[in-house]
Amino acid sequence: MTTIPLPTGTPIRDTIEARPEADNYLTHTRGVLSWIFTLDHKRIGVMYMWSVLGSFLLGGIFALLLRTELLTPGPTITESADTYNQWFTLHGAIMVFLVIIPSIPAALGNIILPIMLGAKDVAFPRLNLFSYYLWIAGAVLCVMSLAMGGFDTGWTFYTPYSTTTTTGGVIPVLTAVFILGFSSIFTGLNFVVTVHKLRPPGMTWFRMPLFLWALYATAIIQVLATPVLGITLLLLIVERTVNIGIFNPAMGGDPVLYQHFFWFYSHPAVYIMILPAMGIISEIIAINSHRSIFGYRFIALSSIAIAMFSFIVWGHHMFTSGQSALMNTVFSAISFSVAIPSAVKVFNWVATLYKGSVSLTTPMWYALAFLFLFTIGGLTGLHLATLSTDVHLHDTYFVVAHFHYVMMGSALIAMIGGLHHWWPKIFGRMYDERLGTIACWIIFIGFNVTFFTQFVLGSQGMPRRYYDYQPEFQVYHVISTLGSYIMAFGFVLTAVSLFGSFFGGRRAPANPWGGRSLEWQCASPPPFDNFAKTPRVGDCYDFSVVHWDEKTGGYWVDESADPEVNPSAPPRPAH
Amino acid sequence: MTTSIPSLAAALAAIAQADGPTAPTFWMPTGASTIAPGVDRTLDVINWICYVFFALVVALMVVFVVKYRHRKGERFRSEFPHHNTPLELTWTIIPTLIVIGIFVVGFRSYLDIYTAPKNAFDVKVTAQKWAWQFQYPNGAQSDDLYVPAGKPVRLVLRSSDVLHSLYIPDFRVKRDVVPGRYTYAWFQCDHPTGQPGKEVRDPNAATVEGSLDAAQRHALFCTEYCGTGHSKMNRYVYVLDETSFDQWMVDQSQWLDKIDEDQLWFKAGPKIFARCSQCHSLDGADGIGPSWKGIVERVKAYPIVGEGKRYATWEDYVRTSILVPGEYVVPPYANAMPTFKGQLNDKAIDALLGYMQNLDKFDPKTGKLLPTLDPETAQPAAGGAK
Repeated sequence: MTTIPLPTGTPIRDTIEARPEADNYLTHTRGVLSWIFTLDHKRIGVMYMWSVLGSFLLGGIFALLLRTELLTPGPTITESADTYNQWFTLHGAIMVFLVIIPSIPAALGNIILPIMLGAKDVAFPRLNLFSYYLWIAGAVLCVMSLAMGGFDTGWTFYTPYSTTTTTGGVIPVLTAVFILGFSSIFTGLNFVVTVHKLRPPGMTWFRMPLFLWALYATAIIQVLATPVLGITLLLLIVERTVNIGIFNPAMGGDPVLYQHFFWFYSHPAVYIMILPAMGIISEIIAINSHRSIFGYRFIALSSIAIAMFSFIVWGHHMFTSGQSALMNTVFSAISFSVAIPSAVKVFNWVATLYKGSVSLTTPMWYALAFLFLFTIGGLTGLHLATLSTDVHLHDTYFVVAHFHYVMMGSALIAMIGGLHHWWPKIFGRMYDERLGTIACWIIFIGFNVTFFTQFVLGSQGMPRRYYDYQPEFQVYHVISTLGSYIMAFGFVLTAVSLFGSFFGGRRAPANPWGGRSLEWQCASPPPFDNFAKTPRVGDCYDFSVVHWDEKTGGYWVDESADPEVNPSAPPRPAH
Repeated sequence: MTTSIPSLAAALAAIAQADGPTAPTFWMPTGASTIAPGVDRTLDVINWICYVFFALVVALMVVFVVKYRHRKGERFRSEFPHHNTPLELTWTIIPTLIVIGIFVVGFRSYLDIYTAPKNAFDVKVTAQKWAWQFQYPNGAQSDDLYVPAGKPVRLVLRSSDVLHSLYIPDFRVKRDVVPGRYTYAWFQCDHPTGQPGKEVRDPNAATVEGSLDAAQRHALFCTEYCGTGHSKMNRYVYVLDETSFDQWMVDQSQWLDKIDEDQLWFKAGPKIFARCSQCHSLDGADGIGPSWKGIVERVKAYPIVGEGKRYATWEDYVRTSILVPGEYVVPPYANAMPTFKGQLNDKAIDALLGYMQNLDKFDPKTGKLLPTLDPETAQPAAGGAK
């Protein structure tokens, strides 16, 4: 590497460029075993990332099979309703438990969280690796359950269907989800401790990047809610094997009790999916607007507020289940209260664009797509929180469309956006931004064609999980299926653009987007131990000390100009 | 001039009487129950709130991105607000008030949906994999739901196996059917739809599509996933004016009694088989249960089933399978059949036994009597071309 003449007073940049490029976490040690037994959070994160993306491909293939089957009423590509039922169950279970829940915290979070903290690793590196082993065990068991007869219960495993169905893979997949739950709990535990104990000097709670706030709020839910899922699934296994009768009405049990247990976890789980996504969006929008985020404290605290509220709204999944009118009313009222912090977050993000300096990078396009889709996903939540309209819309395609806008249009789009945001950091290569942006647009268009149609389909009365349907619904199904093909094409292009970066992609500068948080101040890819010595940090959303450097094709952070970091720097007017 | 005003009023009244269910819109299907207009209004209000907020967010987003776009090499803007308390309070308080409003509106129309009037007409509904069975106060049973117009109807829901959910989109009504407890749903529809065919239970009656405007009847779905036949668990609701409904109920309760014993197999058999056809075919095709093609010969030839159980006669096998389905399970089929105890009486079972012995006289696809046979005698029609 050639030496570049540096402006004076740039010690941090100096250290970045001075590091020998050969020594980073990818090249520090070599061989398969050095990955399998690694304790490095970045390597564990990268392994999670490939595993999650592989699962995403599998879940996506099932989605395309489903959509293709629904092109015509009656049989299209399979003669058997049972096969279709297995497909949608697998699609749901894979996407929820193997993709969306681990995608942002376990994959991106693992890589970025310790670096953002200026730490060398998470608090418990061995526990971190164990989490990943558990994830692999869960995923393998999930795939094995296919060979053992598959399962057709829907990803919600409602009793008594799940305890009486004759498909042989039910117990293996319940065990798999149980194990995956522990993987999630350990990751959450690790992150809570890491954020509490390993923050660098200068990083008070309200100096934390918002991605850390989001991961922290998520980790709390993971630790508190997932055990409930674990014990519920154990009860289900016991019920299925020795028939203890806790959910069986013939023995004094109650199937609705199962729904309470299940949603007591699975509603907070929705926030395990969306909160870290919101964190990514806060980062991308602030960095690409090159201005401080509007209403930082509100966004930070609302993550915690949403996490707390998420525990007391589960009953809104059960408005038609036979739950009493009083309980429905209470749950409806509380559910609306979640809408407020979510809405205000959206306003804050939009306000952050105001008088900013908006760079339309690929990650920024994903963030804008998120804003568009999350607004639709959030607003249609109003229809479902409202009692009288939910009775009509419950268990129709309207609900399917709503949660795809939130889980896929928001959580997954943010995950893909985050992947583009940190890809140069993780692998040290730039992807083709033009191709990345085109792919983002194609996914965005395909997504809306697929799922907006389903809002209409659902409110017109089409129930979900139907192999066959009335001919009058066909036109909507055809449009929706075409949309899914467009989307699939967009994802293929994304893969081409990202993997293309390995073949002749420009070497990534340390700070390609102009970020201020710590991960942009170590080399791309980061060295094995992240930072030679624990850095001191200032306000990570104060971009006035971030400067463009033509030579490296990236930005650099002049920390020494920030009086919070360097007391001898000239003071700047307070805001 | 003076006479035209009352006649105009009368004409308007007539229009109001005849206006029938609400027309379908972009979002909603036709609204045929008394609660539908209220639900639709609530939905409209929420929709408009959504349109406004969505337009606001997206418009601001686009304007800001265009206006404050940054080009490489430019200096970053340094004058911008970090926060603005009055603005933040405004955009917290206004949405809060709006959602409180939506909650109240939704809650009020929900109470209407939830509470059935005291004088409601009760219909007992049993859901099972994968059929609905409706039972009326006089003992009549039906596979489609028939209700009187202009009268509140309360459905008393019961499941004999797993969770189901009864959903009538045109009425905006949905209720889960939960094993081990009763749940209720109610509605009132003021607009008769007519009924399929005149002789309701005539085995060879014209198809529903042939005798009734298909758009008039109301679809009824199962919306809680219940396995293989979940998407086939859909039926229709027919709303009859009160006189026709009472007559229908009487006819329906007696239809089997009115058929002579020796005509049971061809007059009642196909009708009853319609319920079995979800799982059993007549043409040998594999279904959820074994095909009925050649069933009599099969059972007679091999009187041992499953784990070595032996049955006395083939009639005994069929009868037991209908009433206690788990008794003789034929591998490789699963023990999936629900019991029909209390739904099919001895006469109905006799009809099925006769039907099974004469399968060659029925169309193996539809299960109906062959058109070459006289529907009154099941003999080749006199003077038939063949």
